[in-house]
Amino acid sequence: MANQKEYVRNKVDSSISKIVIDRDLCIGAASCIAVSGSTFELDNENKAVVIGADTADDETLKMAAESCPTKAILLFDKSGKQIYPA
Amino acid sequence: MEKYQYLIIGGGVAGFTAAETLRQKDAASSIAVINSEPYALYSRVMLSKPDFFFGKIPFDKIWMRGQDWYEKNNINFFGGKTAASLDPNNKIVKLSDGLELGYEKLLIATGVCARKWNISGSEKEGVYYLRNIDDGKKIMEAIKTAKRAVAIGGGFISFEMADLLALAKIDTSVVIRENYFWEPTLDETSGKMIEKVLTNNGVKIINNVEVQEVMGADKVEGIVLKDGRKIECDMVICGIGVACDFNWFVSSGIKTNRGILANEYLQTNLPDVWTAGDIAEYNDLLLEENIQLGNWVNAHEQGRIAGLNMAGVHEPFKFVSFYTTQGLGISIAFVGDTRPGEDRIIIKRGSPEINSYARIIIVGKELVGATLINRTSELSLIAKLIENNVDVSQKYKELADPNFDLRELLVAEIKVN
Repeated sequence: MANQKEYVRNKVDSSISKIVIDRDLCIGAASCIAVSGSTFELDNENKAVVIGADTADDETLKMAAESCPTKAILLFDKSGKQIYPA
Repeated sequence: MEKYQYLIIGGGVAGFTAAETLRQKDAASSIAVINSEPYALYSRVMLSKPDFFFGKIPFDKIWMRGQDWYEKNNINFFGGKTAASLDPNNKIVKLSDGLELGYEKLLIATGVCARKWNISGSEKEGVYYLRNIDDGKKIMEAIKTAKRAVAIGGGFISFEMADLLALAKIDTSVVIRENYFWEPTLDETSGKMIEKVLTNNGVKIINNVEVQEVMGADKVEGIVLKDGRKIECDMVICGIGVACDFNWFVSSGIKTNRGILANEYLQTNLPDVWTAGDIAEYNDLLLEENIQLGNWVNAHEQGRIAGLNMAGVHEPFKFVSFYTTQGLGISIAFVGDTRPGEDRIIIKRGSPEINSYARIIIVGKELVGATLINRTSELSLIAKLIENNVDVSQKYKELADPNFDLRELLVAEIKVN
C-alpha cells in the first residue's frame, strides 16, 4: 500500500529491525500507545507515529502490534522478512 | 462434568486477551472460552469504519488472530453459546443448552449490549443496532440500497454511522435528544464543531427532540418526532447507549451496580471470580472511585491484567483510558475522566476558529481528563500527565495556550522526581 511510514529500529539484541505504520489502515484506536507509550504516539490526523523505535523490548513491541484492531503495525526482522502480521 | 482451571465467559477483546495471557503464563493449564457469537476474536472497532464498509479494507482483516487460534492454542472454545447461571459455591457455570462446566477460576467478560429502543414501531425491519459482526453485516447490506437514513443518538455510534452514510451518498439525518452532539461529555463548542462537519457533508442535525414512533407496515418508512415532524427514511440506526445483561448471574450473589463491581485487581466479591472489559465496574486507583468504561483499549488492558491476576501475578489495573474517533476530517478524543461535574475546572485550549480545540479537565491540583478536537497528538502526553499526578495548579495560563508544548510540564515533573 502506498501510505506507509517506515521507522528503522537499531536496538541492540533486538530481532526487529523495522516498524511500519500503514496510515490507511490506522484508525487511531491508540491501543499501541496503551501497550507502549514510549514507542507510539498519535498525530493530529489521529494516526499512529513512532516516537521511539528503540525504546521497547521485542515482546512489548510485538504485543503493541498485536493489540492493533486494524493490524496497521507491521514488524520486520533483520533479513527484511515481515514477522507481524505473519 | 468438564472442569477447567480457567473458564472465561466472553470472547471479545477482554476475554480473548485474558485467555492469551493465561496461555502465555501457563502452557499446560486447561482453559475454556464461552462466546455468544460463534466467531473467534474480531475487531469490533472496525465494524463502524468507512474503509472497512466500502471494501477498502478487505473483510478478512476483521479477524484478529485467525479462526483457528483457540484450537492452535489448545483452548476449548464454546462458540454460539451463552451462560445461563452461575453457582459460585460449587463453582459451576451452566450454559443455556444445559451443559455444565466446572471452574477453578472464572472470568466474566461478556461486554454489554446495545440499549434497545423502546418506542412504537422500533421492532420493524430496517431498524438497526451496531454491536456485533452480524449487526455490521446487516447495515452493510442495507446501505447498498438505502436512499434515506436516520441515525438516533448524539454519540459515538451516531457520529461514525453518519460519517459512513454521508460517504455512501445517502440522505442522512441525525436525531439528538440533547442540545448538541455528545452532551454532556463535551461542551457546546466541541459539540457544535462536530455538528458543523456533519452539516458541511450534507447530514441534517435535528436537536432537542425525541422520536415518537417508527412509521411503516413491516418495514421502516419513516419516523415521527415528538413535535410532530416526520422524516421519511428506509433505514434507522440506533445508537442510544448500552445496557448490561445481569440476568444469568443475578442469583449468584455477585455484587453489581451499573456493571459488575470489582477491586483494582478486577476481582469480584465472589471467590475466584474476576471481571474485565465493558461490564466491569472497577476501583480506579487514579480516580479513587469505581468506574466503568466501554472501549477497545480499556478492554484489552483489563483482559491482560485479569489474566495475570488469575494466573497468580498480583498486579493492579492502573491505566489512563482513552478512545478516539474520526470522520469527515475531524478527530475526536477522550482521555481519562471526562465526566462532567461541579468540582471540575475546565481549561479551554484552542478554539473553533483555529479548528483545534481541547478541554483540559482538572480536579484539585491535578489533571484528570481531557477532550480533544483535532488535537489527538496531545493524547498520550495528557495521559502521561494524568498518570504522573502532575501538579498543574500554577499552569492554567500555559494550558490555555494552544501553542504551549505540554511536554514541558512532563519534563519538569520528571526532573523534580
